[in-house]
Amino acid sequence: MIQLDEQQLNELQKDLDAVRDEVLADLGERDARYIRKIVRLHRALEVGGRVMMPFGFIPPVFVAATATLGVAKILENMEIGHNVMHGQYDWMNDPTLNSQTYEWDTVCTSESWRRTHNYEHHTYTNIIGKDRDYGYAVLRLSDDEPWKPWHTLQFINYILLSVFFQWGVGLHELETEKLRRREISWREKLPFLKDFVRKGGRQAFKDYVFFPLLTLPVAPIVLAGNVGANLIRNLWASTVIFCGHFTQDAETFTERECEGESKGHWYLRQLTGSSNFTGGRWLHILSGHLSYQIEHHVFPDLPAHRYPEISERVQEICRKYGIHYNTGSFMSQYQTVLQRVLRYSLPERRSANPVNV
Amino acid sequence: MLAKMNQTRAMHWLGRQLLNRSNPASYFDPLAEAINPMWVQAYTPARVERILVETHDTKTFVLRPASRWTGFRAGQHVNICVDIDGVRRQRTFSLSSSPLLWQNDGMITLTIKRLPGGLVTNWLHDHLEEGAVLGLTEAFGDFLMPAVPKPVLLIAGGSGITPILSLLETMAAEHFRAPVTLLYFVRTRDDVIAGEKLEALAARYSALSVQIICTHESDEPHYLNDADLDSVPGLKAREVYLCGPGGLMDLANELLYQRGLGEEQVHCTFFAPPVSASLDNETLGGQVSFAHAHLDVDSSGDATLLEIAEAAGLKPQYGCRMGICHQCSCRKTSGTVINRLTGKASGPGEESVQLCISVPRGPVTLEA
Repeated sequence: MIQLDEQQLNELQKDLDAVRDEVLADLGERDARYIRKIVRLHRALEVGGRVMMPFGFIPPVFVAATATLGVAKILENMEIGHNVMHGQYDWMNDPTLNSQTYEWDTVCTSESWRRTHNYEHHTYTNIIGKDRDYGYAVLRLSDDEPWKPWHTLQFINYILLSVFFQWGVGLHELETEKLRRREISWREKLPFLKDFVRKGGRQAFKDYVFFPLLTLPVAPIVLAGNVGANLIRNLWASTVIFCGHFTQDAETFTERECEGESKGHWYLRQLTGSSNFTGGRWLHILSGHLSYQIEHHVFPDLPAHRYPEISERVQEICRKYGIHYNTGSFMSQYQTVLQRVLRYSLPERRSANPVNV
Repeated sequence: MLAKMNQTRAMHWLGRQLLNRSNPASYFDPLAEAINPMWVQAYTPARVERILVETHDTKTFVLRPASRWTGFRAGQHVNICVDIDGVRRQRTFSLSSSPLLWQNDGMITLTIKRLPGGLVTNWLHDHLEEGAVLGLTEAFGDFLMPAVPKPVLLIAGGSGITPILSLLETMAAEHFRAPVTLLYFVRTRDDVIAGEKLEALAARYSALSVQIICTHESDEPHYLNDADLDSVPGLKAREVYLCGPGGLMDLANELLYQRGLGEEQVHCTFFAPPVSASLDNETLGGQVSFAHAHLDVDSSGDATLLEIAEAAGLKPQYGCRMGICHQCSCRKTSGTVINRLTGKASGPGEESVQLCISVPRGPVTLEA
């Protein structure tokens, strides 16, 4: 990571705080109207998808219904759920958009998500050993983690994780790696498991039992469509999230260098540990504006639709301090993610050019 | 009744299974709102039918709540919620109409005076238009007329007349058979709210006598005094209703107590304006009430709510402790807090606050 002295870090903090304060001072009607419009669109898409689904015996309708429901789930998870739970809209004082009470349309409970994502991942971003989102304890993505033979086949793990992403995220807090190492006991995880079963059961009941049974004569079609919609969401969410921190130039950190860090150092870590991708307006909306992962990590509780507006200012600040602003087209960034997953499935190559980490 | 309860429980269960929320109807609110805002389920919508100008700084808003609203008793108040610049604001106002207007015509009125610097009252005056829809809670409050007729004295100050208008109209309509006296304090003649209505009431309801007292029309201000109370026959036997600014309420309580009226005889209600924002360190701190823990603690200086809670032995959920992760966000039901990062003051009403960066200014109540 680029080294900045204490004074530079303080200045960096001041510069970024200024951007944040400016947005905070300007929050209002426009932001409320934006998120309500997205919520309305989500409702229309979900209702539309579910109404169309029983008519899926007509092939084009099946494709349209599955895609509509899939996009509805993506919007709800990425642009609404994830962002609302970050507290981006708490200032609106609308109980339906409150970070502490919002429950989203996926297996992971909001409570578990706020602990593992909002707190652990956003506080300890990319610190190997502390940020459990780094590789999700199933992928080796940096030489900071020692190589084991089973890492050779981690690409298969990656595919499985993507396909079943909502279940993987739901089980994230189980901390299986710590259970395996006997650092924690199953008994400690009982309350979590109970919540997981309740929420996971609810999600499965809805998509795989209730709606198919409701339309019994065409139950297999509705079941297949709902599975398809969840799969679309899983693959997309996993891909967007992998592009946020596992691109080639996204840096990792050690616990030691982050001990007792200042806010300025935390900012620096967010800037260098995250990566963006470029694209059209709808690509950004469907990614929940995680295409602006850098801006999101610097300001996780600013309404995400503001990130495109402040991106230029953040880039300017990066240039001022010589910090690399990691961005590229969606395809090029995703390609480096795949390369990273493959490269670290093999042991460290000391002689060869290591990946720039 | 039981069938209805079972039905709602079943609906709530299904709502949680299918929509991840216990009130399934509210899932459709965003769509309903776009078609007809009166269909919203999360609160009771009420349409503004008419806006009447009472004085230079007071208006009466005639509202038509959705028919599922359960009504009210004279003297009660409601919370209204409006979105102002994207922020949902809740405020409490007394109903100024009689319940008969609701029962017969499905309408209610709120009579609202501008508070100097007040966010919501000024917005209502300047921006709320006929045809707009705002949110309503069910009515609440125990500023109610006596169950059996007995002599009554009402003391109102300024906009404190609003619940009393509701009481008087109801008493007149129900032929409440006991002497009723109103002492109504206003700054000047121009500040009298609903003057014509009071005159008409006094004319058709013979038990009522109305005295309007201007506090600021002579050289010496005329506040409530013994002579005013002496003019009320049989004062000691009366049920007294007080509604007005703090100064008047304190004075009235004091004078009535001296005359031997019991606490159970005196009823008070009024909603004070919020304290204006200031960053003066000396005004920080105050009593913090944790409602769920049944715990009140005092604080001083710029200790945050999180620090105060922990010092009191509570273990609220928290994360980063620097205002990033919102793990510690908690519902504040009343009181003002200052955001330690921005120095900004919150509103006085119910809202979500981040414990780790909120410093109380004056008494604060939390749902924790």
